[in-house]
Amino acid sequence: MPLLEIRNLVVRYGEIEALRGVTIAVEQGQVVTLLGANGAGKSTTLRAISGLAKPASGDILFDGQSIAGLGPEAIVRLGISHVPEGRRVFPGLTVKENIMLGASNRKVSASQISREADAMFDLFPDIRAFSNALGWTLSGGQLQMVAVARGLMAKPRLLLLDEPSLGLAPVIVQAVFRIISQIRKDTTVLLVEQNARMGLSVADHGFVLETGRIVLGGKPDELWGNEAIAAAYLGGHAKTHG
Amino acid sequence: MDLVLQLLFTGIGIGAVYALVALGFVLIFRATNVVNFAQGEFSMVAAYLMVVCVELGLPYWLSFVIALAGMALLGVIFNLGVYYPLRHRTYLPVIIATIGASILLSNSVLAIYGPQPQVLQGWFDTPGIQLGPVYLDSQYLLIIGVTILLVLFNFWFFEKTLLGKKLQATSQDKEMASLLGISVSTMIMITFIYSAVLGGLAGILVAPVLFVSIQMGSTIALKAFAATIIGGFGDVAGAIVGGLALGVIETFGAAYISVPYKDGFAFLVLIAFLVFRPQGIFGERVAEKA
Repeated sequence: MPLLEIRNLVVRYGEIEALRGVTIAVEQGQVVTLLGANGAGKSTTLRAISGLAKPASGDILFDGQSIAGLGPEAIVRLGISHVPEGRRVFPGLTVKENIMLGASNRKVSASQISREADAMFDLFPDIRAFSNALGWTLSGGQLQMVAVARGLMAKPRLLLLDEPSLGLAPVIVQAVFRIISQIRKDTTVLLVEQNARMGLSVADHGFVLETGRIVLGGKPDELWGNEAIAAAYLGGHAKTHG
Repeated sequence: MDLVLQLLFTGIGIGAVYALVALGFVLIFRATNVVNFAQGEFSMVAAYLMVVCVELGLPYWLSFVIALAGMALLGVIFNLGVYYPLRHRTYLPVIIATIGASILLSNSVLAIYGPQPQVLQGWFDTPGIQLGPVYLDSQYLLIIGVTILLVLFNFWFFEKTLLGKKLQATSQDKEMASLLGISVSTMIMITFIYSAVLGGLAGILVAPVLFVSIQMGSTIALKAFAATIIGGFGDVAGAIVGGLALGVIETFGAAYISVPYKDGFAFLVLIAFLVFRPQGIFGERVAEKA
């Protein structure tokens, strides 16, 4: 049984149908990457999983149990942690406080959370020195590190990562993806990326979304192998990376 | 010099009341992005609750506890009845609802108690103590003491506790807070209860100094609102400093310039700030709202 199974998911924003019957499965222990252009419905898929967007029809099963229609607070308690687009680090709180609040879905003492947050800096050594800096003072790469660290504090069974590379310098993007390949040892990851090459480099499986539908799915080398499809959906430079 | 010290004491005392109400304004504004125009009525209702309890013959401390518990309950009702149904709307319907609630509260008290102002005795039997050249009124001492304790509590609560951090997180980004498993509706409920109790405390403390009347809420709220703008809207420290500054300014203005224009000085300062430094003393920490 897959850890996460999405069946025929339809999400509407008013009149607009953002998702028109999306079906994907994420197996335990995998990294699955969702690719697609701007507006294809990648973020909406993640928002529906974490409870920020209400499905109009279809179902979302986590560990075999339907979570469609539950609120975000309930879903994160089940073990799905969503690191949303734009990082959303609390600007008026410090790095350490931001990371500590990531454990709000669990019933643990404040001192235990503080210890866990300190331990998190082992995985993110670049932000250790900024532990007491306020969120708004950080750079884009640091914000991304804080956002992922905060997401991991939930001890999720499934981590949803939305465009972690967006707006970051190439060297920072590589650091972020190194962390993703470390995370995958313990956590299943559903990754949304516009950067197809980076997104597939860490993936076990990839799906391509186009205007609210899955048009393609398969192992990364299968996706790259199909040159016509790669050129159309994975960016014009697909061949050079294939 | 003696007069200056005396006026400073009185000014800080009355300013502390404005500071408490201003703190209530700021906390609700940060949590909900809405100015609660019924904040002053919280003070008025609490003062009347106090009058009722004391008239029933209850001990002063018990009346105090009952009045504050009543304010906590009013905070719950206010949140559920005024804010919660409109929480997904823009700020405008919510603001109008708080104005409606303010009218409802003052007219309900008017209907029950009539227009005659009431008198509430102070907490202490001793009217005050003479300290060198300055006469320290016991009620003002109480007001200043309670305000200092509350400011310390407020700092500890928001800066040192995890719950305080969750409240801050909620006021900065509700959607993100909910993604982390923070119960946003609980955080907003706590904010309303806390603000209602703060407003109530201000009303109870200032009642023996002023008269207990239907209008006392709007008078205090206007000054407190001016204080939040002078301090820097949305800033906790600004609300406290603004409140104290306003109390001192109007007391000195009344003593040295004109008593009838006492209320006018507060608004003169407000206008000066709006013209020359609209972001207030501390400025709005823009980054926190980003």
